[in-house]
Amino acid sequence: MNEHDFGDLARRDTERHLLAAVDESANSKRAVMFLADFFSDSQNVFVTLLSIIPEPSEDFFPTEAERRPWLQAKEAEMQKHLTGYKEILLGAGFSDARIATRLSIRPGTISVGDAILEEQEKLRCCIVVVGRRGISHSEEFVFGSTSSKILHHAKHCAVMVVE
Amino acid sequence: MVQPAKTLQEATIRELIAGHAGPDRVPKRFKIITDTSDFFKVEYNDVVVLGGVPYWVHRCEKEGRFGIDDEPKYWVRRAIELTTGATKILKLVFHEQFETTVGEVTITCYRSPKKEARILDLVANHGNFMHGHWVLDAAGNNVRILEFIHGPRFDDVVTGYGTDHYDYFHRYFPQILDQYLELVLAIKFLHDNGEKHGDIRRDHILWDVDTKTNRWIDFDYNYQQGEALFGFDMQGLGNLLIFVAGRGDVLVPDLYHNQREIFDTLWGEDLSIAYKNRVANLKKIYPYIPDSLNQALLHFSVGANIFYETTDQLLDDLARARADMVSLTGRQA
Ligand SMILES: Nc1ncnc2c1ncn2[C@@H]1O[C@H](COP(=O)(O)OP(=O)(O)OP(=O)(O)O)[C@@H](O)[C@H]1O
Ligand SMILES: [Mg+2]
Repeated sequence: MNEHDFGDLARRDTERHLLAAVDESANSKRAVMFLADFFSDSQNVFVTLLSIIPEPSEDFFPTEAERRPWLQAKEAEMQKHLTGYKEILLGAGFSDARIATRLSIRPGTISVGDAILEEQEKLRCCIVVVGRRGISHSEEFVFGSTSSKILHHAKHCAVMVVE
Repeated sequence: MVQPAKTLQEATIRELIAGHAGPDRVPKRFKIITDTSDFFKVEYNDVVVLGGVPYWVHRCEKEGRFGIDDEPKYWVRRAIELTTGATKILKLVFHEQFETTVGEVTITCYRSPKKEARILDLVANHGNFMHGHWVLDAAGNNVRILEFIHGPRFDDVVTGYGTDHYDYFHRYFPQILDQYLELVLAIKFLHDNGEKHGDIRRDHILWDVDTKTNRWIDFDYNYQQGEALFGFDMQGLGNLLIFVAGRGDVLVPDLYHNQREIFDTLWGEDLSIAYKNRVANLKKIYPYIPDSLNQALLHFSVGANIFYETTDQLLDDLARARADMVSLTGRQA
């Protein structure tokens, strides 16, 4: 799918569309398990499992020939995680039609949090769900925190941070 | 395959050296190097030929930061461009990966010649950065050829002003603040162009006595950033602000030994988040510091709840601080 083609993913506004932003971390898995538990009975909730891969800078690879395979391996790995997360939802009683997965590769010049919020806006999801790493204060100082970014900057939706 | 530019003959090079330094200075023996892969082989008096231009190599640069003399940097060599007689700095390729710790946070850093070369191109017309160009040597190494900046380090200039902090702050700080703002604007220029400096430290700013401007140097650090794309740079700018506002860092052990009454008023939250032995809440030490400036400093303290994500946020707050400095000192910087 094209990165700007959201066509069939953008649900109608009447639907309860939930965006779960996930990566390979244990806290992402916890967030998915929480969703499985909490929403499996809600037949009108639709879930998009979203994973953002920030494109690594050319600086980290001696040649473009080494960057490509890295990215492909990363993509395959994330796709595997998304499939695993989808299975957790299916196992909890979600029907296949209520789950979508989406993998988006974005340039490194946009942060993951901003990319997630962009998707939320385009897909018109009314809830964004993220996990939290539980990083230290000074770590947040240097690296920032995706969940904080989303909490502070999300518009027209609810934000759920699962810990 | 491009042929290495080894057309220069030793005789020609000898002539060039003689013309530049006088016949007595021409070394008896020297190597002519076109492949700089093994930079330890580049010795004093050797000539490195890059893009057909010969560079007569002098000494290694040292950083000597914070009083400790570092190991010589064998990959950073001072050299004379024999075609023009200009002093240059050659930065040879050194692929190094290492961990730096800030506060309790460990960052994996890489040296990236490509990044430094790209930024040199980007800042070619910007007065607040070092200038230079880059050339691929015979083995494809990206060698950066930097114009040599004559002048002292910015931090040494700052601490040289005034007889004490009060005198410095009231007589000189308004100008220093303006210089600091200019340096932040330069970093904003990088960020706006999708680049980060990567190693913002006070010894990476030189006061150019010829152009009378401060110039950022050393752009080769790179690291995988997190949600805050420019967080590491912002934190470096914070350390620098604390330094210039305090006329040097105010160290907790010094207060403990020499100014116990002030030490006793400090809380953990008053300290710098990056260096927990430095005070960020400088108003506790120097009560005449305007609130507006101190508020900006507190963004870099342990007690901070929100951090600056962009240079614009910092610049906004400092515009207020600048206005307050003008009313405090009655001085238009
Ligand atoms: N353009 C310049 N003009 C004058 N001196 C310079 C210039 N560039 C570098 N230097 C001197 O050489 C030293 C080392 O250069 P630089 O910091 O670029 O190297 P580095 O290997 O990247 O250092 P670091 O270990 O900090 O990464 C500087 O601290 C400075 O003293
Ligand atoms: Mg340096």
